[in-house]
Amino acid sequence: MPPQIGTDSIHLELRQKCSQCSLQELCLPRGLYAQDLEQLDTVVVCEGPHHAGDFLLHTGDRFRSLYAVRSGSYKSYTIDRDGREQIWGFHLQGEIMGLDAIHPEQHLCNVVALDTATACSLPFDQLSAIASRLPGLRSQIFKTLSKSLSEQTIRSRENTAEERLAAFLVDLSTRLRERGFSERDLHLNMPRRDIANYLHLTAETISRSLARFQSEGLILVDHREIHLLDLSKLTKRARCENSAN
Amino acid sequence: MASQMPKVIDPELIHRYDALGPRYTSYPTARHFHKGITETIFRENVAFSNEDPIPSDLSLYIHIPFCRRPCFYCGCTRIVTHHAPRVSSYLDQLHREIALQGDGIGRDRIVRQLHLGGGTPTYLTDTELESLMRAIRKAFTLDEGLDREFGIEVDPRTVDASRLARFLALGFNRVSFGIQDLDHTVQQAINRIQDPEHTLTLVEKAHHLGFASVNVDLLYGLPGQSPERFQTTIQSVLRVQPGRIALYGYAHLPGQFRFQRKIPSAALPDAHARIALFLMAFERFAASGYHPIGLDHFARNGDKLVDAARDGSLQRNFQGYSTHAGLDSVALGLSAISRIGTLYAQNSKDEADYLTSLSAGHLPIRMGYQLNADDVIRADVIERIMCHEEVDEEAVERRHQIQFRDYFASALESLKDLEHDGLVAQTGKRLILSPTGQILRRIVAARFDAYRPQEDGSRHYSRVI
Repeated sequence: MPPQIGTDSIHLELRQKCSQCSLQELCLPRGLYAQDLEQLDTVVVCEGPHHAGDFLLHTGDRFRSLYAVRSGSYKSYTIDRDGREQIWGFHLQGEIMGLDAIHPEQHLCNVVALDTATACSLPFDQLSAIASRLPGLRSQIFKTLSKSLSEQTIRSRENTAEERLAAFLVDLSTRLRERGFSERDLHLNMPRRDIANYLHLTAETISRSLARFQSEGLILVDHREIHLLDLSKLTKRARCENSAN
Repeated sequence: MASQMPKVIDPELIHRYDALGPRYTSYPTARHFHKGITETIFRENVAFSNEDPIPSDLSLYIHIPFCRRPCFYCGCTRIVTHHAPRVSSYLDQLHREIALQGDGIGRDRIVRQLHLGGGTPTYLTDTELESLMRAIRKAFTLDEGLDREFGIEVDPRTVDASRLARFLALGFNRVSFGIQDLDHTVQQAINRIQDPEHTLTLVEKAHHLGFASVNVDLLYGLPGQSPERFQTTIQSVLRVQPGRIALYGYAHLPGQFRFQRKIPSAALPDAHARIALFLMAFERFAASGYHPIGLDHFARNGDKLVDAARDGSLQRNFQGYSTHAGLDSVALGLSAISRIGTLYAQNSKDEADYLTSLSAGHLPIRMGYQLNADDVIRADVIERIMCHEEVDEEAVERRHQIQFRDYFASALESLKDLEHDGLVAQTGKRLILSPTGQILRRIVAARFDAYRPQEDGSRHYSRVI
């Protein structure tokens, strides 16, 4: 795959204003004062819309920016030497992508849209410059970095398939609640094999485990919609009281 | 409760509302299918559904279009022939279609239902049926448990007791006999002469052999049918105690079906006589302990349809009624209609086109329809009306995140005449059909149809009764 941006869709270069964005309390600007937000407004650029399967980033792209999901959702993945895909994360509105590129100065993951999605590009040099003047922004960047480090615990191979899957559902539910959506109604817009890949399970195991949760009355599955009927029991099944959030 | 609703069936009301209208084996009806649905779109939908968190299990339909001679009433896609090579070239391509479809479907999706329809599936020899089943087992994962529903339509003229036993050995646990009418005069008029004695013996034999379900099809509104003589047929059928009886109304559409032109309109019972035939049969069945199910089925206690009607899991599909909820349907053969998620896809109805397409390695999909969000909600409500005696509005609201009375304000407004006549009532958060309303359920359903045809205008549909 050629490491270049912009071959898969037309990129609309739109000025994006953090100060007017409804996601500001979820995204990097969280906790900033209005006058500080305006400094970010001058550097943020919107990319997309991307349609399902369109690339935002390719592995090897030079690191220039962090990206925030503005609408829709993305997944990030790498391809190993044998050509196998490994999924590292699913990114919802207001979440930051590209953090792994800071050190190597190139993007490690491919990032593709799971549905129609847009992202805000936050040029890193300018972001750093602003952060050096705004302690609030600097601390928000550190928190985001730290959180991304702890995210992989869901997939810990020590947990059983059902624990991992329950943790995945609880984690999604928590993130949706933080975003002001219903924590009980999940729409899984990623294919089953992607969830399986992410959790290091087989697709059949995903379905079997979901069917078991359903027969126990924990969830109700209707095609891509999953309704969490008993979130507290599901949380217990996940054994993730500490890792959630 | 709707205690003000009349509990007795009112023939005059039926006559007043009797009109032409869809049977809602699908919503929207097949008349709305268009050529924009292609093999590519079908395959995309299958691939998408394979990737659902829990991919739906499957219902498989196989169409065997061949018949030795034409029953004049029939409106199915069929080929009347005695020419063996024609049959074997069809079977060759059908086998190819089975393999192609099997390749696309996730192997962890289990076939819970299998139905061989026609035409005449029993036109095929035992060897041909055996090889067909082998191909199906190779391409798909079949449920081998007791809950499976694997059925075959049987033309009694082509089958004896030992063939029935062979079907059982092939994995079929349900059998459906085409009877229509046992009266010789009627049989002559419809060009389907079959020995009543042989037919009834087969039904009994099917019980003894251990088929989990034995169904018979009857037709009313046929040429020369009178209530007295039809009653004789019904009494004979009731003596052999089929688990299910499907009682269909003959739809006389000679403009669409060539062989129906051999039935003179003058020989057909008029609208009043049709209602009398239907109600006579309805009462006979009820008196013998059969429960009316949906539009045109009757089932004995112990039959799964009765339980499904009680617990709300009854489903409407192209084969009529069934008990398995939420299955995707893969249909193979000439003119067969699949449903995958929100997509309907229909195979070519043209034999040559069907064969050419498959011999080139392509699924012969020619038409279809992709449901939009509104279609999905209406399809749900219409299916409830076609299956049950009431619609639980709150359940619909939960499933679709709508306010029922707001969403269906104009449909509910259009029900006023039916409400006035006591056919339906809105009580609490339920829409209830009276016993007469249940017989006229197609009329009630049509009021929720966004593409509603004029109730007396369209000549494409059959009479309601």
